Amino acid sequence: MSADYHDHDHPSPWGPHDWGHGAPHNSWSPLVMSIGIGIFLMTFGGLFTFSEFDMWYLPLVIVGIAVIGAGLFVWWRQDMSFDGTYEPMSAGVPFKNIQIRKVGMWVFLMSEMMIFSSLFSTYMRYRQGIPRCDTVFNRGLFDPVTNPDGWQDGVAVTCFEPASHLIASSWWHIAPGAINTFALIISSFTIVQALRWAHKPVGSVDEEVRRKRVYRYLGATTILASLFLTLKMIEWFIGFHVPAIDLIGLHEHEIHSLYSEGYLINNDHYQHHDYVDEATGAHMVANIQVSATLFYVTTGTHGLHVLVGIIGLAYLTFKAWTGAYNPQSAVSIEYFGLYWHFVDLVWVLVFPFFYLY
Amino acid sequence: MSKNSAPRKIALVAMLAMAVLVVPTVTSLPGGMGGADIQRAGCTCHGTLPSSSVEASISGLPDSYNVSETYNVTVSFSGGPSTDGNMNLGGFNLWASDGTFATLDDSAQLWEQNTNEVAHTESGNDQRTWFLQWTAPESGVNVDFILHVNSVNGNQGNGGSGGDMWNRADVTVLGFGDPPLPEVDPFKVLATLVVISGVMLSIVVMYIFYRKNPDSFDWENFAPWISEWLTSTDHKKIGTLYFVQGLFFLGVGGIMALMIRMQLAVPGNDFISQDYYNQFFTLHGTTMIFLAAMPLIAGFANWIVPLQIGAPDLAFPRLNAMSFWLQPVAALLIFTGVFSGQGADTGWTGYAPYVVTETTHSGVSMWAAGQLMLVASSTLTGINFLTTMAVMRAPGMGWFQMPLFTWSILVANLMLFLSIPAFGVGLIQVYLDRTIGTAFYDVAAGGDPLLWSHLFWYFGHPEVYVVIVPAFGVISEVIATSARRSIFGYKSMVYAMAGIGLVSFIVYGHHMFTSGMSPTLRFVTMLTTMLVAVPTGIKIFNWLKTMHGGSLVYRTHTLWTLGFLVTFTLGGISGMFFPSMALDVHLHETYFVVAHFHYVLVGGTVFGFFAAIYYWYPKMTGRMLDERLGVLHFLTAFISYNALFWPMHRLGVVGMIRRTHTYYITTDDFNALPEWAADWNMLISISAFLFFASNLIMVYNMIKTLVRGEKAPADPWGGWSFEWMTTSPPPTPSFDPHNLPELKDANEHVANEPGVFGQMFRRLMVEDDTTEGGSH
Amino acid sequence: MSHKIMGIDAYWMNFYGLMILTLIEVLAVGANLGPTAEGIGMTERQITLWILTIIAVPKFIMIAAIFMHLWGENDSGILTLTALFPAFFIIIMVLFIGLTHPDAGIGLPDWCRPGNYGL
Repeated sequence: MSADYHDHDHPSPWGPHDWGHGAPHNSWSPLVMSIGIGIFLMTFGGLFTFSEFDMWYLPLVIVGIAVIGAGLFVWWRQDMSFDGTYEPMSAGVPFKNIQIRKVGMWVFLMSEMMIFSSLFSTYMRYRQGIPRCDTVFNRGLFDPVTNPDGWQDGVAVTCFEPASHLIASSWWHIAPGAINTFALIISSFTIVQALRWAHKPVGSVDEEVRRKRVYRYLGATTILASLFLTLKMIEWFIGFHVPAIDLIGLHEHEIHSLYSEGYLINNDHYQHHDYVDEATGAHMVANIQVSATLFYVTTGTHGLHVLVGIIGLAYLTFKAWTGAYNPQSAVSIEYFGLYWHFVDLVWVLVFPFFYLY
Repeated sequence: MSKNSAPRKIALVAMLAMAVLVVPTVTSLPGGMGGADIQRAGCTCHGTLPSSSVEASISGLPDSYNVSETYNVTVSFSGGPSTDGNMNLGGFNLWASDGTFATLDDSAQLWEQNTNEVAHTESGNDQRTWFLQWTAPESGVNVDFILHVNSVNGNQGNGGSGGDMWNRADVTVLGFGDPPLPEVDPFKVLATLVVISGVMLSIVVMYIFYRKNPDSFDWENFAPWISEWLTSTDHKKIGTLYFVQGLFFLGVGGIMALMIRMQLAVPGNDFISQDYYNQFFTLHGTTMIFLAAMPLIAGFANWIVPLQIGAPDLAFPRLNAMSFWLQPVAALLIFTGVFSGQGADTGWTGYAPYVVTETTHSGVSMWAAGQLMLVASSTLTGINFLTTMAVMRAPGMGWFQMPLFTWSILVANLMLFLSIPAFGVGLIQVYLDRTIGTAFYDVAAGGDPLLWSHLFWYFGHPEVYVVIVPAFGVISEVIATSARRSIFGYKSMVYAMAGIGLVSFIVYGHHMFTSGMSPTLRFVTMLTTMLVAVPTGIKIFNWLKTMHGGSLVYRTHTLWTLGFLVTFTLGGISGMFFPSMALDVHLHETYFVVAHFHYVLVGGTVFGFFAAIYYWYPKMTGRMLDERLGVLHFLTAFISYNALFWPMHRLGVVGMIRRTHTYYITTDDFNALPEWAADWNMLISISAFLFFASNLIMVYNMIKTLVRGEKAPADPWGGWSFEWMTTSPPPTPSFDPHNLPELKDANEHVANEPGVFGQMFRRLMVEDDTTEGGSH
Repeated sequence: MSHKIMGIDAYWMNFYGLMILTLIEVLAVGANLGPTAEGIGMTERQITLWILTIIAVPKFIMIAAIFMHLWGENDSGILTLTALFPAFFIIIMVLFIGLTHPDAGIGLPDWCRPGNYGL
């Protein structure tokens, strides 16, 4: 028995592992991935330096991403052979008889909770500390005697302009975000369905049916996650066109993206058609860099989690397509599912506080 | 293996030789220092070669100038083909390394944009003497003048400039003050030292490989051996790698500390300029905390924790490898600044808004990026160790049977794991501010610099406990073994550590008392900070009582433990001055703070690590360390350490400011330091060198005994936790997963009769008879 | 997972519930709550925030309990405790970092706020 534990049973640190036991497996993946992350972070710092773009670093950034991808590929190649025969179980108080990897996943989620708490604390701090733009606007035009707190035509005031002022201004503007919310909830649902089908006891379901159900549900989750990011890009950068439908009294109009509305991290002269003094026609201009930064970085961090989820889902779907998931190995879907549901949970908070409020 | 191997051996040796040869050439840095790229070829001179018959002269300049004073300068020449009656007589070009010129008439002109360079005009072509004004710079640097003159023959002969002659004159005007020492480039010194250390590291690696089997010193054997180290997921191998990294950067950080001390040895010193000094203390702090102390902790944790809890390996071995390999790459990123001459200059705390301004060095971006990777590494380590300790304890080992070192790693990792996301988010904000231009800390756009301090110290304060708590664990292990009894008050030790861990999250505001933070929060953190003394005091008294009840065996690790008790207690007492807000305002940013945190971090953490090295080295390598060298190390290090840091308390109280590159001794200014401060600083610097040197004894000891040390038995000290039950060094996997060791507790009822928490957990736990396990 | 809620499969039930709650959220933002708000002495924005917060809580719980299996499994209890472990640290962070901006009520006078001088 103990002869199995020696490393020389695993001829290549590049190749698939023998998962029959818990002995150390050599792997090039950690080293390769670390180097890739280093290259990426370093060259990204060259690509943008204080918002100045230097195109010559772009190939290097791509090299960094490619090296990370190579490391990930090695990792997954070693993982493909995992079929759940050796799923280590916890011993001792308090996690006894729970899979070790499940406990690890929950511990990981603790750190994710802290990450998003930090982002939300940042948001709360600024949201409280900086007066809202419409509050400032309502103070009225500046007058040294009667209204010293007011704003002046053409002089930028620093104020907090929540993205919801643009997004929640009409049903059409809110549509991408709202559809995204439903997409994430549906994807949470499809992934538990995949888990359920993978989990059905052997014999109670045809194996081919199981394979198809599992990979189709996982595939649906991948598609919904991609839809999420696509709609986000439309909402941020592209905008969309609403055609005229006379039947329901719909007029033709353009829905502008946040980008074209000027809701940008470097915009210190933001104008909105609401912020015009009707009597004099004076425009209030606002420095909204902090508000835009908070919006893009917080929702962007969430979007990055979705992106990571898509990459993971692509692997899971592929593995499901090969028919690797059965009641014995179904727990892998559950571990990923925990992460995916957590991403959904975060959206439950991000959506009302960044898109609606 | 016979004939073929000869050329390969030669190739390996050649690589080594190449590496050694490369080292001395590592002297050039982009940018360089202090006016190296002066454009000295400013002469559009007539004729090809300078002629000695032309004599250039410049008069009116002082030997040494006064700040911003204006001098009348006369430039003239004699000799050459220039004779009265020629169409033109001559011209000149005068360049100064600093200061500004002004013209007095239309015979001379300033070069476009360059107020430090002046030349004749067309109407000035008919003169041999020109009159100018030069205004001295504000800085006290020496100014070089370079004068070129043309003596022209007025287009006689073959026209153009043929037959003209020129010459050059150099003058140096001294700045005020003493003439400075010859300029050295501290960064070159550091970069060279780092590269030399790297080369030495690879030589050591090759030497170790050679020692293992001198006959197979060739590529075929070297490649699998080195790739085994690069790909291993075994906790012992990764632990060793952590050690190598940690000790290497302990040396690098130490070298930086020595250069800082060289600068501070005498008042008004200019060995390291202000700019470089900023980078040195920034990198010293970052290196010591993140690249030396943390890897050393992780090294001990990797080695010892699975052995102590009877686990075959960590829960996620591949993630463990990932957390290690992120670290050297992160170190490279952090040090890119050194090699480009643009290192981070923000202090290890990287306070906003300075950290995101464009006037900082470009290395700050890489410093943030590197630390981001360290955050990722620590998070993965946290997942791994928390899970391992929660789920992989050997049968019979409840929470309260875990050895105290394992407990300390548990508490430390919990603190680190839950606090480091705040730091990570802060770093991402800084990194994004510096790259894509977000506005988190852009004060002009409404950004709040205090937010960075909050996020940083929310992590930073637990972090300093993260590096001290494992040392508590080490001391508890060592002192119990050395006193030949069980630790006094095991449970109170555990609760004290958990209490420190919990409180550490509420106290961080004491780093920000002078920052204008919310007054309510200041009051809260003042009280909670004082509270920290309670659990720490419990631990100190428990250690004392353990010694009191046992009979002490004086081994090297025992000596280090006793040293720890003295220095850590002193450091703890000086720490009790800071929670008091009124006193903190006086002591803030002085050497008193420096003395305090070096007393707890060096006297606490590093002494704890030294004890741990002497204690567990036999277990890790299977070789006993030399006790005589160990005692020598302890005595020299302990004495020089105290001479190094104790005087800093006094310097701080009289107002010596930290993070400033020099200090002045005068008698007429109440801000300046008293005269004796210079003597103390000299003593500190000398002691710093002694302390550094004394630690080389330990390195020598480790290498010497590794090569030919006495073989170590399984349990050389009489310890009784699991790690002493396996061989030295332990096999791989450390324990047979199908035949784990079992903890037999003399007080079995303790494990079998759960307390309040145990009963609560037991109600929630998954029953044994559930066949499928956790779910479904 | 074979739990049922009111005779319907738990995943499906949860799914329906989440859909309905999200719809209410979107509607609450779009609806004109001004008159209602004035009736109870609040601004429209305040009442929207309250509605959103109150709805976010059950959504949060539903996803965690059903989809993440923190309810009804034999390991649910202990994993729920694990998930709640960071609560203390999150509260500290929100209190100390999120809510202590010098502008936040208890804080410093006007003259040392960022953004006070039109900066």
